[in-house]
Amino acid sequence: MAEMKKLLIDAAAIARECDRCGNCTTVCPLYGEIDIESSAARGKNNLTLGLAAGVVKASPALLKAANFCLLCRTCAENCPTKVRTDEVMIALRQHLTDELGGLTAKYRMLGTIMKTRPLVKLAAFSMAVMRFLHINRFVPRGLVPNENRRSSFTAAYAGPALLGQPVVPWESTIAHDSRVAYFHGCGMDMMFPDAAGSSIKLLEKTAPGKIQDLANKCCGLIHLAHGMRNDFIDLAKENIRLYENTDIIVTDCASCSSTLKHTAQYFEDDPEWRDRAEEFSSKVMDITEYLTRAGYRPQQREGVRLTFHEPCHLGRGQGLRSQPRELLKSAGEYVEMTGADVCCGGSGSFHLDYPEVSERMLEKKRGNIEKTGAAIVVTECPACLARMQKASRDSNGKFIAMHISQVI
Amino acid sequence: MITEEIKNKLRAIVGSEYVLDSEIDRFGYSYDSSFVQFSESNQPDVIVRPANTKEVSAVMSLASSMGIPVTARGTSSGRTGGSIPVSGGIALSLTRMDKIIEFDERNMMVTVGPGMRTMELYNHCAEKGLFYPPDPASWKYSTIGGNIAENAGGMRAVKYGVTNNYVMGLEVVLADGSVIRTGGKAIKNVTGYNLTQLFVGSEGTLGIVTEIVLRLIPMPAARNTMQLMFPDIEQACGTIHAMLQSGLVPAAAELMDHTSIQAVARHRSLNIDPAIGACVIIEIDGEDDAALQKQASGIEETARRFSAIEVRTAANQAESDDIWSIRRGLSSAVGAMAPNRFGEDISVPRDAFPDMVRRIRDISEKYSLTIAVYGHAGDGNLHPSVLCDMSNPEHAGKVHTAIGEIFDAALQVGGTLSGEHGIGITKRSYTEKALGTAGIEAHKAIKAALDPKGILNPGKIWEQPVKEGN
Repeated sequence: MAEMKKLLIDAAAIARECDRCGNCTTVCPLYGEIDIESSAARGKNNLTLGLAAGVVKASPALLKAANFCLLCRTCAENCPTKVRTDEVMIALRQHLTDELGGLTAKYRMLGTIMKTRPLVKLAAFSMAVMRFLHINRFVPRGLVPNENRRSSFTAAYAGPALLGQPVVPWESTIAHDSRVAYFHGCGMDMMFPDAAGSSIKLLEKTAPGKIQDLANKCCGLIHLAHGMRNDFIDLAKENIRLYENTDIIVTDCASCSSTLKHTAQYFEDDPEWRDRAEEFSSKVMDITEYLTRAGYRPQQREGVRLTFHEPCHLGRGQGLRSQPRELLKSAGEYVEMTGADVCCGGSGSFHLDYPEVSERMLEKKRGNIEKTGAAIVVTECPACLARMQKASRDSNGKFIAMHISQVI
Repeated sequence: MITEEIKNKLRAIVGSEYVLDSEIDRFGYSYDSSFVQFSESNQPDVIVRPANTKEVSAVMSLASSMGIPVTARGTSSGRTGGSIPVSGGIALSLTRMDKIIEFDERNMMVTVGPGMRTMELYNHCAEKGLFYPPDPASWKYSTIGGNIAENAGGMRAVKYGVTNNYVMGLEVVLADGSVIRTGGKAIKNVTGYNLTQLFVGSEGTLGIVTEIVLRLIPMPAARNTMQLMFPDIEQACGTIHAMLQSGLVPAAAELMDHTSIQAVARHRSLNIDPAIGACVIIEIDGEDDAALQKQASGIEETARRFSAIEVRTAANQAESDDIWSIRRGLSSAVGAMAPNRFGEDISVPRDAFPDMVRRIRDISEKYSLTIAVYGHAGDGNLHPSVLCDMSNPEHAGKVHTAIGEIFDAALQVGGTLSGEHGIGITKRSYTEKALGTAGIEAHKAIKAALDPKGILNPGKIWEQPVKEGN
C-alpha cells in the first residue's frame, strides 16, 4: 500500500509542474487524431492530479486513458516546463494496476513471453515458420512481419564492385581493450533475426572476435509500461549481474537501449542496487551511437535513395538524431522525410489496443515516406520496423523497410 | 439535471461521437489554465462539440428551452477561469469550427471559425503577405474565438493594438438560438449599435461567436530585435516614454524587473550582472533595413540618455531569436521559482508604469512575498507574479490580501484589473470596485436583455448567485 501511494505521489509531483497552457495539444500525435482533453499531456497530467486530489476515481476508464499514450515524449520535448508526462503515465499505469488489482490477460501473456527467454525463442521460431510457409500474411495487424534481408540489399545495390575494395580506415574513440557485448532485443530476435545478425557482424568489424554474446534477459520496457514493475525490476537485476564484466553494452533496438539507459533511475531508492544500476546504465550504447564512436563508416555508398523513420526512443529518448542520419548519408542517397520523428503509432502494443488510431498515424507516415521517393525506409526499432513493413505493404511496394544494420 | 433524453437530442444535433459525458471527460473539461482548484461542481454535465453555426443554434435553442447553462470554450488556455463551467450544464467546445471561411485578399480581410488557433491564422495570412498583429503569449495554442471572448492583447499592442482593433464583424448565436450578424467588411459602418465591440471581451456571457471577420494589414518587410539593460525600472520606462513621444514606436517593448531577470538567469544558467535592474526587449519593424537602422540608432541614443548599461541590436535572426527566447521563457522561469504562483494582469496608463512598479515593490516588502514584475511596458500592461507556497499557512493567509492591494493600487493610479486575461471567476470579487455599483447594474441590464434566462456562461465577470436546479 505504501509503495502504491508513493507511485502516485511521485507522479503527481511531476504532473504538478504542468502549467496547463495546452502547448502539448499542438504537438501530441494522439491529440492530432482524437482532439479531446484526455488525449494530450495536459489532460493526462491533470487526471493524475485529480486522482491525487480525490476528484477523479481510480477506475478501468482512467487506466484506459493512461494507456492511450504512446510514451513518445513529443509533449515533454515541446513543453515550456519540460514536464515528463511519459514517466507520469508509466507510474500512473502501475498505480492503477496495483490499485484495481489485476492485469489484462493480454499484457500478462506478453509480459510472460518476454520474461522467459525460451518463449521468446519459441515465438521467433514460430514466426520464422509462418514466414517460410507464407502464412504470416494471414495474421492481422502486421504482427508477423516479413523481413527483408541484408543479402538482398547487397545484391540489389552493391554489385560486384564491393568485392576487393580497400577497407576505408576509421578512427575510434573507444578504448581498444573495451569488452563489448551485444544485447539481444526480444523484438529483434522474434521478428527480425536477419537484422540482428547484421548488427552482430557490424560489431565484429569494430572488434573482431571479441564481441560478447551473453544470454541476456528482456529489457523490461513492456513490463514497466504496463503495470508489471516488479517483473521489470527482476529482469533489470539479472541483466545488471550478467554484464558486470562488460564495458560496453550495445543493442540494435532503440527501445531497449533507451530503457536500459534509464534503468538506473528505478533503483535510486535502493541502496543495495543503486550504484550497480548506475554503472550498468552508463555502459549502454545504441548501435548507431557505438558505431559513430567507433568511427565506423559504411564501406560503400550506394546509389539508392534512403529515408529514416526516427524511433521515439532513439531521438527523444536518447538524443541520438545525427548519428543514424550521418551513417545513412555515407550509405546511400539520404533524403529526410517530413515528420521523420513523429511516432508511427507502433509504440510497443499500442497498435493492438488502438488499431484505428494507429492505422491513421501510419497512413500519414506512409504518405511522408512516399513523398521522398525513397526506395528504402530505414529505422532502428523492431516495433517501428514492423509498422514500416506494414506501410511498405500498404504502399504496394513503392518502398521497402529495413533495419539500419542491414544497409550500412 | 441533464436527462438521457436531452443527451439524445444533443446527439441527434451534433452526432453521438461529439457528445461526451464520461467521468474522465467531464473532469477534463472542468479546468482551464488558471489555477482554480479541481471541483466536481466545476464539471459540465455534458460536453458538446458542434461543427457549424446551424448545430450551435440548435444546441442553444434546446438549452434555452430547458434552461441549461452553456459555457463556450476553445482550448481552455485562459488564465482566469472564464471557460470553467461553474454551473454545470453544457461545455460547448468550438474547436471543430477551425477553418478559414473566406480569405478576401482585395479587401485585406479574413473570415474564420472561432476554433482556429491564432498562430495558424497568423501563418495562413503571412503566407499571403498579410499581417494579423495580435499575438497573445498563448497564440500557439489559444483559439481566435477565445481571443475574441477575452479581447486578448499581446506584445505588439503598443504599435498595433489588441484583438478588438481588428474585429470587423461577427456572426453570433444568441441565447435563444437565433443567429445575428454584426458589423461587416465596410470600414465605415454606423448602422445601429456597435454590437461587434460589445461581444468582443464579453467572455461568452452574451452569445456564442461562430464566425469572425478580421481586418489585416500588409506584413512589415523588415524586423529586428534590441535588448536594453538599465540600472533601474525608472530609466527603462523613461526611455520608452521618450521614444514614443519622439515618434519612435516599437512593435513591442517588453520590460522585466530585477527578480524576473534573475529568474531567467537561474533557469537558463546564465550569468547576468546583478547591477542590472531592468531589461527591455524591443521589436522594431519597417519597410526596409535602412528604416530599421534609423529606428535602432534613435532608440540607442535615447537609451544612452537614460544611462543604459548595455544596448544590443541583433545582428541576425539567431541573435534575435536568442533575445526573444529570454522573454518567451520568462513565465516558466518565474513559475519555477516557487511552488505556487499567482500571475496577475493589471493595466495602467503608460506614464503610471514606474509608479505602479514601486507600489508593487512596497506591497512585496510589506508582506515579505517575492513578486516578479514583467510586462508590456509600451502599453502599460503589467504581469506581477506573486511567488509563494500555499502549503505554508503563513503565505496562504496573506497572498490574497497582497493581491487585493495590488488591484487597489492599480485602480488608484487610474488603471484596471485586467489588460488581456479577462475577469472570469478569479477576479470577479474585485469588479464592483473597478466599475462601481451603477457600472455593474449597466452590465447586468445588458446581460438580462441578451440572455434573459441567464444560461450563457453564468457566474462570470461579477459576483452573482449561481442558479440552482436547472
